[in-house]
Amino acid sequence: MIGVNTAHRSLAARSWPARLLLYLGLCVFAAAFLAPFYWMIISALRPQSEFYQIPIPVIPSHLTLQDFVLLFQRSEFGRGLLNSAFLAFVSVVLQVFFSSLAGYTFAKLTFRGKDVLFTAMLATMMIPYMVTIIPNYIIMAHLGWIDTYWPLIIPGIANAFGIFWMRQYCQSIPSELLDAARIDGAGEFMIYWRVVVPLIQPALASLAIFVFLSTWNDFLNPLVFLRNQDLFTVQLWLAVVSHEGNVGQPAIVMAGSVLASIPVLLIFIFMQKRFVAGLTAGSIK
Amino acid sequence: MALVARAGSITRSPRGAARWWAKVAPYVFISPFYLLFLAFGLLPILFSLGVSLFNWQGVAQAQFTGLSNYGVLLTDPDFLTALGNTVIVWLGSTVPMVFLALAFAAVLNAQRLRLRGFFRTVYFLPVVTSLVVTGLIFSVLFDPSIGLVNDALHAVGIAPINFLSDPNWMKPTLIMALLWRWTGNDMVIMLAGLQSIPGDIYEAATVDGATGRQAFWRITVPLMRPIILFDFIISTIGAFNLFEEPYVLFGGSAGNIGGTQNAGLVTGTLIYQNSFVFFNFGYGAAIAWVVAFIIFVLSMLQLKLGNKPVD
Repeated sequence: MIGVNTAHRSLAARSWPARLLLYLGLCVFAAAFLAPFYWMIISALRPQSEFYQIPIPVIPSHLTLQDFVLLFQRSEFGRGLLNSAFLAFVSVVLQVFFSSLAGYTFAKLTFRGKDVLFTAMLATMMIPYMVTIIPNYIIMAHLGWIDTYWPLIIPGIANAFGIFWMRQYCQSIPSELLDAARIDGAGEFMIYWRVVVPLIQPALASLAIFVFLSTWNDFLNPLVFLRNQDLFTVQLWLAVVSHEGNVGQPAIVMAGSVLASIPVLLIFIFMQKRFVAGLTAGSIK
Repeated sequence: MALVARAGSITRSPRGAARWWAKVAPYVFISPFYLLFLAFGLLPILFSLGVSLFNWQGVAQAQFTGLSNYGVLLTDPDFLTALGNTVIVWLGSTVPMVFLALAFAAVLNAQRLRLRGFFRTVYFLPVVTSLVVTGLIFSVLFDPSIGLVNDALHAVGIAPINFLSDPNWMKPTLIMALLWRWTGNDMVIMLAGLQSIPGDIYEAATVDGATGRQAFWRITVPLMRPIILFDFIISTIGAFNLFEEPYVLFGGSAGNIGGTQNAGLVTGTLIYQNSFVFFNFGYGAAIAWVVAFIIFVLSMLQLKLGNKPVD
């Protein structure tokens, strides 16, 4: 970190017009990144009549929750939110547990074939998703799993990224702690459960956030494997609402988009440090 | 005989059992990944290669047709259109995205920058947004009649543009949506890379009288080359797997998945359409394999170009 500090001493040394220009540029890009969010929120809250004004007012005359009411009246969006929350919860618990158990094993236990198995696991991350989705659909159909949540939960447990990321973190656990537990007669699983898990809480939280986001935002898998609207996730309901004429006003679609985005944006803003650390850790170590 | 006796004693004594478990436990702990990968990763891959050799139209009996799916593919106008569109979108988004991401990362890595955390958060915010929501927001923003963008163009006297249905504008609109959604992702990877460059290199350069710009081009960019290359490769994979954004922007469930004159058809939506709309699994799998091969070749090519030694 000291290095980073000295590395950019030149920034402070710049003349004030140069610095002004730099901040101005940063603000322009910040506005470009924020504007679509602003428009989503405002479109959901503005009175529908304003959509037909030319030009459409950038600041609405007043705010209303009418479109949220219409969204819930005309679709099963609330059920979609609950379905997605359920799926995300189950996926988080299973993926965090199995990834951390395997990641700890690769980091701290010695066994024959470890390097080969680890490399093979990393190699599986290279397989393009589109190649496996068709045969997976056929396999799921044979298992009778179409229109159930199994295809959305079970294959995801084999999370190579999660195992890799937990392994990187677990390498910092001092081996003396594990040996001490072993001398005290603790079994291998108990060592993981009682000694390792309490030590890797931050990494577990980061992975949990990551799994939550990818499950909550997933669209292709639910689209392929679900037919019954009762099981639809929030992303599927968004697609339904945006394509059906009677509910398809842009205001209602934006109301749905706001609801679908609130959980991910809240999680990101409040747990930002953990999230960004989680994303970057894997790529440098 | 001795072996059997030893094995027997191991399982009988509690200490022996513990030792046996300590040997086996690692394999048990990592086994879920491999079992599930066999069932839902490896098996599908082999299956998929097999399927691509059949004419399999969902309900009908599959017929072995050898490589004919691949033969049809090479002259299928839809495939060629999708491939051309994907290449345009890939180059049109990846090159500016990597450039912007590196610039953002270099600026937002400076310790003394005010509001550094704020800018990082804002630039990264679109990355957590779902791809469906991204598509929906952009279809509202670029709508020909109620869209903000056309209002702004109107204000400066430009006639409204059908961003989502004019074949000339569909790909640029998709590229804009991709830049908004993904640049922050590349930026974070670049930031991680920048933080691993030791500071004394810059110190030495400053002592030698190098300016900030020289340091950037002579030190930062060469040292960041593996990371830049990594970003290029993940963006390439992303472009050839694009699905949600074009699906939502160009009216996926309206029947015509590629929009006007298929100008918005990409390889990801073509695979989906053949497999899950037409239920032509064999042909869909063949496209998926050709696309996987193209991704592999492009990644290798980039690795080769990127690893060329600098003078």
